[in-house]
Amino acid sequence: MSLFSETMIITRRNLLKSVRVPILLFMSLFQPLLFLILFSQIFTSLANLPGFPYDTYLQFLVPAIIAMTALSSAFQSGLGTVSDVEDGMLDKFLIAPVHRISIMTGRILSDGVRIVAQAAVVIVTAFAMGARYETGLAGLVVMIFLASIFGMAWAGLSNIVALRTQNAEVTMVIGIILLFPILFLSTGFMPTALLPDWLDTVARFNPLSYLIDAERALVNDGWDWSLVVQSIVVTLGLGAVTLTGATRAFRKAIS
Amino acid sequence: MKLIEVVDLYKSFGDVRAVNGISFAVEEGTIFGFLGPNGAGKTTTIRILVTLSEQTSGTAIVGGVDVSADPRGVRSRVGYAAQATGIDRDLTGRENLILQGRLHGLSKVDASTEAEAILEVISLAEVADRRAGTYSGGMAKRLDLAQALIHRPNVLFLDEPTTGLDPQNRNAMWTYLRKLNDDGMTIFLTTQYLEEADELADDLAIIDNGRIVVEGSPTELKRGIGGDSVTLMPSTDSSAEDLEVMATAMRALHDTNGVEKLGDSVVVYLEDGGSRIAEIVRAIDTTGVQLGRLELAEPSLDQVFLKHTGARLRVEDVKPPSRMSRNRRHR
Ligand SMILES: Nc1ncnc2c1ncn2[C@@H]1O[C@H](COP(=O)(O)OP(=O)(O)O)[C@@H](O)[C@H]1O
Ligand SMILES: [Mg+2]
Repeated sequence: MSLFSETMIITRRNLLKSVRVPILLFMSLFQPLLFLILFSQIFTSLANLPGFPYDTYLQFLVPAIIAMTALSSAFQSGLGTVSDVEDGMLDKFLIAPVHRISIMTGRILSDGVRIVAQAAVVIVTAFAMGARYETGLAGLVVMIFLASIFGMAWAGLSNIVALRTQNAEVTMVIGIILLFPILFLSTGFMPTALLPDWLDTVARFNPLSYLIDAERALVNDGWDWSLVVQSIVVTLGLGAVTLTGATRAFRKAIS
Repeated sequence: MKLIEVVDLYKSFGDVRAVNGISFAVEEGTIFGFLGPNGAGKTTTIRILVTLSEQTSGTAIVGGVDVSADPRGVRSRVGYAAQATGIDRDLTGRENLILQGRLHGLSKVDASTEAEAILEVISLAEVADRRAGTYSGGMAKRLDLAQALIHRPNVLFLDEPTTGLDPQNRNAMWTYLRKLNDDGMTIFLTTQYLEEADELADDLAIIDNGRIVVEGSPTELKRGIGGDSVTLMPSTDSSAEDLEVMATAMRALHDTNGVEKLGDSVVVYLEDGGSRIAEIVRAIDTTGVQLGRLELAEPSLDQVFLKHTGARLRVEDVKPPSRMSRNRRHR
């Protein structure tokens, strides 16, 4: 069998599991949706500040929430890996005559698909709340794609932790600890013009900012290919590091 | 033809020598039993044979393929059910089976057809579309066995297939295994149960502390005991010398096949033990040692085990080391 078809078999199985135990799907959606609803209310009047680029804070916020969804979903990836170790499913995969790396590629790809569904929920919810998407359906497809590959890159990190510790609690806690700094030290919630200088600088080094900026342009301003490409490049760079690390951790865990 | 050939296999985990130089061979079409107490090295051996773990040294050939040289070749030839069952609790029994079939290269259609057939054989057809998480222990073990069979392997490796099952489920499992073997399947199974080894195995290796202490068919092994055994224990308030006195008295008897001191008892091996009890009791009587207990036993694997390891095989239903801690400790 080819690595591709093996990856597909394992991806399908992981997704089937997600659907059977939807609690995890909701867990990583709950906070983003809560933030979407609360922040869009709490910070409504920000839109009146001089220098605020959009008519409503909601328009500004939606891209950040999509990115947050990708990130928090990605940080759950390792939980699936730990549970496969505990249930003996990892051994079951390992005794099959497949390319062993398909266990990892199947894991990451299923995360990507899961994020597509979750991002779509966020987009629809925001639409119902009044958000409008400048680039239309095609723009949404690109936005979801960007969020999905970004999430896959971060899923690599979650799996490094999962494979090194083989402990669900640690994997979950590290995800939670990382989520908020990455989220708030970004261009997500405040226009850069209104950020303190140091935070602005930090945000420039945060990969999440690149995703948010690209998404924000697509939601509000139209097609900005240079931002889209930047986001892809940053995601690929990040993914190269995390997925190499995850592959190493995987090989070590099964040897 | 030999389907499994193991020569001088060693496996160490740090300072622990889990498998300490074992060699054995398994003939095609037979059931080979690996009998030993907890921690003897059974799981370690089986994990090497199914390529989940690498040996420290030695060779293992399964289905004509060297496990180190071509692990994927071995994987397509073997079926394996681990000591702790490996099933996806969120999928149905059928989905679990199809998944394994697909991973072993079956097409969707073939995987479904095979799954259907096996579910029937293994009596899980009725619950096939229930989530595996709702299965009883016996059903889960059977599903695990079915998963190991879906790709029609040449050899089946079962690590303690009945540990933790009640007698009814254990008997059912034995029936399935015997049936599979009748249909030609070669089976390598580990067990802590003497009855299981006696019941199923054509050949048997007793493993203790990482070594094979004795090997043969159950009948041969029992014959090797030297007839019936009479176990004598002095009464509780007697001393160590009393034991020696008893042993000496027994060695003086005619026509015995051996006398051994094992723990706090003396064991006499002799033919037709029942007819010689009176003689034995009289001989002890003349020594003045107070006899506490006497046991007559026909040759059994229990005796075989005792004779070769100096201890009784007691089944501890201790949980196997969790896979997590095992993996974490893996080097
Ligand atoms: N991954 C491991 N790391 C360290 N020691 C191990 C590991 N796996 C097994 N052992 C040790 O090797 C010995 C044999 O274990 P095992 O093969 O599981 O025995 P059995 O299956 O016969 O109960 C035991 O002393 C056990 O503690
Ligand atoms: Mg074991």
